[in-house]
Amino acid sequence: MKVPVSLRIAALAVATTGFYTYVGQLVPQKEVHPPEEIVIAKDMKPEEMQKVGRQIMEGKGLCFTCHTIGKSSGPFRFPDLGGIGSRAGTRIPGMSDVEYIAQSMYEPGKYIVPGFNPGMPEISKPPIGLTDDEILAVIAYLQSLGGTTTVTMQTKLPWQAGGGGDAAIGATPAAPAAEAPVTSGATDSAAPAPTTSEAPATPGNGAAPAPAPAAPGSGR
Amino acid sequence: MKNRMLLAVVAAIVGLAVVVGIAKFLMHREYHAPYRPDPSVVAETPRDQGLADQKAEQEKADKEKPYQEVEYRAFPKIGSRVAIWIVAQLHLLFAAFVLAVPLFALIIEFIGYRTKDPRYDRLAHEFTKLLSVSFSLTGTFGAFLTFMLIILYPKFTSYLVSVFSITFLPYVLLFFAEAFFLYTYYYGWGKFSPRVHLLLGLGLNLVGTAIMLIANAWLTFMTSPSGISEKGALISTWDAVTNYTWMPINIHRIIANVAFGGSIAAAYAAIKFLGAKTDEDRAHYDWMGYIGNFVAICAFLPLPFAGYYLAKEIYAYSQTLGLTMMGGAFSWLFIIQAVLIGNLFLAANYYLWLGMGRIAGAEQFQKYIKYLLILVAICFAVWATPRSIISTVSEVRAMGGSSHPALGFLGVMSAKNTAVNILILTTYISFLLYRRSGKTATVKWAKAGNRAQLAIFLVAASIVIFLGVYGYFVEAAVRIAFSIPQVLSVLVAMISVTVIDVFLFKNAKKAGEPRWGQIAPVSQYVLIFIAVTFTWLMGLMGYVRSGLRQHWHVYGVMRDTSVDAFTPTLGFATKIVSVTVLIFFLLISFVFWLAGLGEKKDWEAKPKAAEEGAAA
Repeated sequence: MKVPVSLRIAALAVATTGFYTYVGQLVPQKEVHPPEEIVIAKDMKPEEMQKVGRQIMEGKGLCFTCHTIGKSSGPFRFPDLGGIGSRAGTRIPGMSDVEYIAQSMYEPGKYIVPGFNPGMPEISKPPIGLTDDEILAVIAYLQSLGGTTTVTMQTKLPWQAGGGGDAAIGATPAAPAAEAPVTSGATDSAAPAPTTSEAPATPGNGAAPAPAPAAPGSGR
Repeated sequence: MKNRMLLAVVAAIVGLAVVVGIAKFLMHREYHAPYRPDPSVVAETPRDQGLADQKAEQEKADKEKPYQEVEYRAFPKIGSRVAIWIVAQLHLLFAAFVLAVPLFALIIEFIGYRTKDPRYDRLAHEFTKLLSVSFSLTGTFGAFLTFMLIILYPKFTSYLVSVFSITFLPYVLLFFAEAFFLYTYYYGWGKFSPRVHLLLGLGLNLVGTAIMLIANAWLTFMTSPSGISEKGALISTWDAVTNYTWMPINIHRIIANVAFGGSIAAAYAAIKFLGAKTDEDRAHYDWMGYIGNFVAICAFLPLPFAGYYLAKEIYAYSQTLGLTMMGGAFSWLFIIQAVLIGNLFLAANYYLWLGMGRIAGAEQFQKYIKYLLILVAICFAVWATPRSIISTVSEVRAMGGSSHPALGFLGVMSAKNTAVNILILTTYISFLLYRRSGKTATVKWAKAGNRAQLAIFLVAASIVIFLGVYGYFVEAAVRIAFSIPQVLSVLVAMISVTVIDVFLFKNAKKAGEPRWGQIAPVSQYVLIFIAVTFTWLMGLMGYVRSGLRQHWHVYGVMRDTSVDAFTPTLGFATKIVSVTVLIFFLLISFVFWLAGLGEKKDWEAKPKAAEEGAAA
């Protein structure tokens, strides 16, 4: 039986697309969802901040797209962050480790580690758009890599101005500051903060929280 | 005995079930008096009053209802994203075809005008035949896409309109101009002086390109927005147009459109060849298929370089975006792309090797084919090798990581850049052998010319391989920069060897002219395979260009907050691409069929007597 040319051509087109679809099924299948918002409480202890900071780096911060931790050899696209906690305070004379790490996120172009090209985006702005509180949590985690976490949720940084994802159109508006009560003197007080004070600072969709009033008596 | 007992029990159970079933059936049909509540206990319900109150309340609520801007609407069954995806891709495929065909039709017409060879004129006319219906389909899908955007993504569309409002009127006017040039160019074939007709073709190309440049501004703005404030307000339309990825996309698209258009035109010729009844037709469509494929491959060879430029600009705009593309969610997509491009190279080479069969005196070069095939296969394998492998925990332990200890080295950029450049050089050699088939150089310096060509090839290949290997020992920034000298060495080699070859084979002794039409029919299926693969590749790369933004409508400016604000799996994406490609081929088959209708005889009513005779 002779198969008509038109049928052969149709079969070829279907077989070719079928083959490429099959190849598409062979590679790893992963759905990538928008980063989940992590609830940040104003009274987090350093260990909690470190844990949250790590989560942010893995998720919303997209840090591990470029950075590694503890990679000893091989080509580095961007600096490895292993031991950053111990060397951050020595990078720029007169700048503390917290300030250095904060600057590298708020103003990454100010200081480029020798041997690397500039390329880090401003983390407080979209598309990543970490909030000031999220950046504090990330600093806490980075300090713990070879150093000691000294930053707290009440630490004030010169760059903090309520930046973050609110520049993006379509982001859910931030919760008013009044709705996010801050436990006063969280660092000084040994008393555990009431759970009601854990108002979500990032209500969703990358919105930045409105700057919370400074907690009296707090400081670093 | 036991069996009989068992059978009896089973029969009893079945019998019981049948009886119960019949009883139920009959009882359902038994008369039952309808339920009527006792009038003495039923309270008098002011039903009419209740309904009137309800209606009044609804009317009041309707009047007071505030206007609310809708962000998204849902498309039934398949969802808004898939609906937009398919329509946009179909629009782009037809637009690419409509923009590309006039480009090479004009060049072929010009060659015919200069050489006074009427075959070229006929060929250019035949290519143009495919345009008019395709143009209508492009416009229809464009309108479809616009309405879909307005309906399904009103807020996003409104934002794009606010940024690019100034560009829409020129776009529409250019569309009118394109219709004018296209139809005058097609219907005016042979009606004007050749120069006027060529000018019409030039106008068609200029207008078409201008349309593409405007549309590219809209879509590239979504990936690399500029000219706006941090809050998304427009500052400069010109800056919004000339954003980071605009020019790289313009260049990449023009080249890719030509490659795609050439392959579709070649597929048309292949279909006509397979259905041809006469040797003359077969010869014509064989030649047409060859030219279409030649155009496609010529445009295809520099395409990876345009791709590098685009990728470089994406990195320059945002390292995060670049790394998401090459090292993040989309990194495996480039393995699929490698399979497609590898297949294209294999098929293109195979077609050239088959084509040597129609040239007398080509036998001397056929012995080299096996070496070329080995080179193509090796490069294909290297290019399609992933850096990390899907493996079980025990396999990861055995390998000492997710990368294979030896093959993992082939998964990095150094190896892939080397493979693709060697692949391009190999395909070029195949073309060169085809071009030389049946010819003997008569110039005095023929030997020296051949040696010079060989030396150029060896130097280019050495540079490519050396930089590829050296790339493993340097930092990323240096390694990435190596791709430029690799690409340049291949380009310089191809250009200089072509120039030498042109002079080398000027006034060459020919063993005979190509026997057009005398080629194995399988070659025509290869042309169709190339066209389907090109189309699929365009669909895949269209997906990565758009999907790269992930959960952003406009990257970093306007978030996607719809239910589709996630990046689907590559498996899902490939299914959508395949569906789109098949719809496209269904529609383009219609275009081919319409284009062929003109050659058919006019319908004439059969004489009544003949009809009766036939019926008898």
